Amino acid sequence: MSEKFEPKIVAFVCTYCTYAGADLAGTSRLKYAPNVRMVRLPCTGRISPMFILKALQKGADGILISGCHPGDCHFTHGNYHARRRWMVFRSLLDFIGIPTDRVKYSWISAAEGVKFAELINTITEEIRALGPFTQYHGLIEETQSQASL
Amino acid sequence: MSIEVQYRDRAKELLAKGEVKLVIGYGGGSTPNRRRPVFASSPEEVDRLVLDSLCIANLSGYLVTEGLLSDEKKVAVFLRPEGIRSINILAAENQLNADQVVILGFETAGSDIRPLEGGNVLDFSEFIVTLSENRVVSDSDPVIDKLENMSAQERFSFWQDEFSKCIKCYACRQACPMCYCRRCIVDCNQPQWINTSAHTLGNFEWNIIRAFHLAGRCVECGNCDRACPVNIPLRLVNRRMAVEALNSFDHFAGLSVTQEPVLASFKKDDTETFIL
Repeated sequence: MSEKFEPKIVAFVCTYCTYAGADLAGTSRLKYAPNVRMVRLPCTGRISPMFILKALQKGADGILISGCHPGDCHFTHGNYHARRRWMVFRSLLDFIGIPTDRVKYSWISAAEGVKFAELINTITEEIRALGPFTQYHGLIEETQSQASL
Repeated sequence: MSIEVQYRDRAKELLAKGEVKLVIGYGGGSTPNRRRPVFASSPEEVDRLVLDSLCIANLSGYLVTEGLLSDEKKVAVFLRPEGIRSINILAAENQLNADQVVILGFETAGSDIRPLEGGNVLDFSEFIVTLSENRVVSDSDPVIDKLENMSAQERFSFWQDEFSKCIKCYACRQACPMCYCRRCIVDCNQPQWINTSAHTLGNFEWNIIRAFHLAGRCVECGNCDRACPVNIPLRLVNRRMAVEALNSFDHFAGLSVTQEPVLASFKKDDTETFIL
């Protein structure tokens, strides 16, 4: 008997907008898929591409990166820097063969609790449809096997 | 007078007059078709210099050797066009003072070799602008196009095959003029972001992060590609990143000594299509 596949999604969010938006979704009693693990960071500018690789390394099936809308950054331009970085990193991941569908980016403000809840639901369904990220999981398994001498 | 004799004379003169303390050039390698770096600090040593179409390595990386330029004396270096762009980037990133570098420029096409006029990096500004204009027209590469037409899964398999060969010798990092960090991210172990073992997962992470750190900085000199002992086509991924920087941000790496690094700057109207 096989269990239904539940995707593991890691969300890297900025504390001033998306985390507050998620908080609003919670206090508004909005129900959304429980598949997402939130990691709160000071700003999207703090989100290093290394975090994305680490999440994949630990077996994530999908990743969400989210922060303040352009112009709304608490630190005035952290998200502009982040946007450039995402544009480059996204095309790099695509070129390496990590499907762009698995790494999602969004702008969610502190007032957009509904958008947050809906987004989590949609990306959970999308990743569920894609299935587990078996190609990458294969690499992880290889690291756990004993070295052949 | 051949270009080799011409440049030897110039190097000899620079050293004899005391204008430079060191000339970094090419010399004969272990086999007839190889060249290795030569460091000449006296006019007598200049005779070891060789200059022909086999001189393809980018020597600019030696300039950021710790302490080399700290005495404010000048150093002369043989550079191809990519090397001159590297000097621009290193200067823009405050790694060296471009006025301390005397450039002995040359370019090669097949077996032809011709000198590039100038000494200071600023003398080559126009030449580099021409390079950047030509680049916009001819930025496609058959292998990259082939990869782009594959499905993500096929591309993953392609890179899995390539990266599984990696032995984590870090020759790519050593050969790269842009990899000057005293402490590379891969050497940081609290936390250990990148697996240091040479398994395919760690190799993926290392090569992805290196390509990302070179995005908008790589001049495609090919040092890493040639240094790789297992022949991973690193130039493909670096080229893809250069194309991305050019198409998305109109950024041609190493255009001038004052060019802002592409990932340390932004425009409010950078346009993307994927942020929800």
